[in-house]
Amino acid sequence: MREPLSASERGEGPLYWRFSPLERTLHVLVIVSFMGLVITGIPLHFSYAPWARTLVRFLGGFQVAAFLHRVSAIIIFGYFLTHIGYVVYKLVTKPTLAERKAYLFGPDSMMPRRKDLEDLIQQFKWYVGRAERPRFDRFSYMEKFDYWAVFWGVTIIGGSGLLLWAPEFFSRFLPGWAFNIATIVHGDEALLALGFIFTIHFFNVHLRPEKFPIDLVIFTGRATETYMKEEHPLEYERLEREGRLEAREAPPVSRTLYLWSLVFGFAALALGLSLITLLIWTVLR
Amino acid sequence: MRGLSPDATDGVDRHATGELTVMLELSHFARRLPLALCCLLLSAAVVQSQKVMAQDAAAAQEILPGEPPFDCAKCHSRAEFLAGKTDTQEGDAALLVPDSIILASRHDTLACASCHPDQATIYPHEAPEGASRAVPCESCHEVQGTDWRASSHAVNVAEEGDAPTCVRCHGEHAVFSPEDRRSPTHPFNIAELCGGCHADPAIVGTYFAQPERVEAKAPVVQYFETVHGAALTRSGLVISATCNDCHDAHRVLAADSTNSRTNPDNIVETCGRCHVGIVETYEQSAHGVARAEGRRSLNDRPAPVCSDCHSSHSIVRADAQDWFVGIVEECGDCHAELYDTYSDTYHGKVTKLGYGLTAKCSDCHTPHAMYPPDDPRSSVHANNLVETCRRCHEGANENFAQYYSHANPKERTEYPKLFGTWLFMTILLVGVFGFFGLHTALWGLRLVIDRLRAAKEA
Repeated sequence: MREPLSASERGEGPLYWRFSPLERTLHVLVIVSFMGLVITGIPLHFSYAPWARTLVRFLGGFQVAAFLHRVSAIIIFGYFLTHIGYVVYKLVTKPTLAERKAYLFGPDSMMPRRKDLEDLIQQFKWYVGRAERPRFDRFSYMEKFDYWAVFWGVTIIGGSGLLLWAPEFFSRFLPGWAFNIATIVHGDEALLALGFIFTIHFFNVHLRPEKFPIDLVIFTGRATETYMKEEHPLEYERLEREGRLEAREAPPVSRTLYLWSLVFGFAALALGLSLITLLIWTVLR
Repeated sequence: MRGLSPDATDGVDRHATGELTVMLELSHFARRLPLALCCLLLSAAVVQSQKVMAQDAAAAQEILPGEPPFDCAKCHSRAEFLAGKTDTQEGDAALLVPDSIILASRHDTLACASCHPDQATIYPHEAPEGASRAVPCESCHEVQGTDWRASSHAVNVAEEGDAPTCVRCHGEHAVFSPEDRRSPTHPFNIAELCGGCHADPAIVGTYFAQPERVEAKAPVVQYFETVHGAALTRSGLVISATCNDCHDAHRVLAADSTNSRTNPDNIVETCGRCHVGIVETYEQSAHGVARAEGRRSLNDRPAPVCSDCHSSHSIVRADAQDWFVGIVEECGDCHAELYDTYSDTYHGKVTKLGYGLTAKCSDCHTPHAMYPPDDPRSSVHANNLVETCRRCHEGANENFAQYYSHANPKERTEYPKLFGTWLFMTILLVGVFGFFGLHTALWGLRLVIDRLRAAKEA
């Protein structure tokens, strides 16, 4: 069994790059915009809750909340397009077709593979003691699910949000009931997203005993050798086999970056857990 | 000193003699002459004042008793004469009625006997057995008297309790027309006048059927916060409704009395005395027609009248945000299902947060001219819907107006598209949370079991 391994500096061995500065920046934007949307959106969705009026007044009133909601949405559209642009750029700059194919469908890609399904099944077998724990490559099936969930969420919530943002414009092309559907979809998808992030994602990435209380790899960008062997053994072995391990070695995390990561990470975690507690209480009340 | 009583003459003589003696004794001292002169003048003044008082007493003796009509002012305009005529100072003061008060009042042409027939013919003024001391205002103000006798105010008049009689509200001798700024019944003064009793917990507690309702916030205090009160106090509008405009000045009756102007069956007429245009519209509206026909709502309530939506003593401006937000709840009291579906919309949610910026019932249905949706006059009739949406959404078109403002997505037959969406989203949410909930729970369990086993082995 594994020892607790809660942050990138924990564990042993040299550090290896896991996330690029762009990926880390985008994830910080994901967190900031997501929190902004959640905080300004839940008072509306739960307008009947006793805390809704207080929260919306605290935010500076309904109009300010609505403005911040749209600002957060713009950040999302920004990082979404940046990421897609980046992926497309990387793809077209690959010299050969084989490399392009590997970029899209290889082990380093986010594309779902047959192995992800097998890993999922093996994970459940492991739960009931019928198999060894599945060994993951660069991205586990959970990370891939999170990634595609953002795609799905941004498309559905962002699209419906745009409809509701400018109904007079969109009603030139769409029937009136489209806005009813947009309202239902926007709210329920948002609930799905925040419920998933604040419970499942938080547990998978930060709160399970091996990682508790926080995993800072997404902020510092680098993981220890132990972390790599535990969480992404197939990737580690692949890099070792291909002799690319040394090229991935990273310098130690600066104290400033470490402290900022810690403060930002814990703040987001605390906010998310507080909000989900509040919402669960509101729903069960 | 002629004509004075012997007693008075004696007194003066004694005084004069005493003073002269002293003066003669001092005459040797010429230097003190000025002082002596002063004393002389002083004593003369005392003598004169006593003489006048004695004359007054004699004059009163001469005119009373005698034959009516008396010259009432001869006694009732002199405070020093009236002093001590009653048990209290206030009582004495009340007897003082100089002609000037009467001449300045609305009753300037009336003689004392017009209002005090008994007192004016009898002296001393003690009433004979069975004669009334009450002032017979009704002999002239017949209609008002009849109205007042039919009012709640006349209830305990026989016991001479706290009942407000004519003079309680209109004053005694200084009676002015209600249009006169000095009158207690002038619009600027009337709330305070009524408040003298209706804001008094002791009086409210004694006479009111539901004192707890009144004591919480006295209606008179509330009145000044209403749009009617504010129009009076802030805008100085004397045409704004005061207590008597709604409750009637004389036939004051509790709202549960069928004759009361504030009874739900009469309130439309009462408000309509000023709000003529609104009542005309209301009477043709769905609410007005239902009321006239005696139809009741699904939850067995009569159709609303003015006061059901605008309350009574807390009437506020219809463009105030709090009222905006509150009125939705009022409508929802009867239109429960529409209220629920409205609450699911963006309009409803923003309203629920306490902001009156998004559409509320009256924005789409109009405040008073509401008709069933199939009535061509209705603002939500298919022909008028685009125009109604455009009141806020300038660019609204036919498509826009197809938005379901009151949709229940769980109604499969009525809203199949919304039902499908709702079903899909529900399955998605339950599916994702169910699957990953299990995924997480089992993972947690596995890790706990592993750790317990490791601890046992160690």
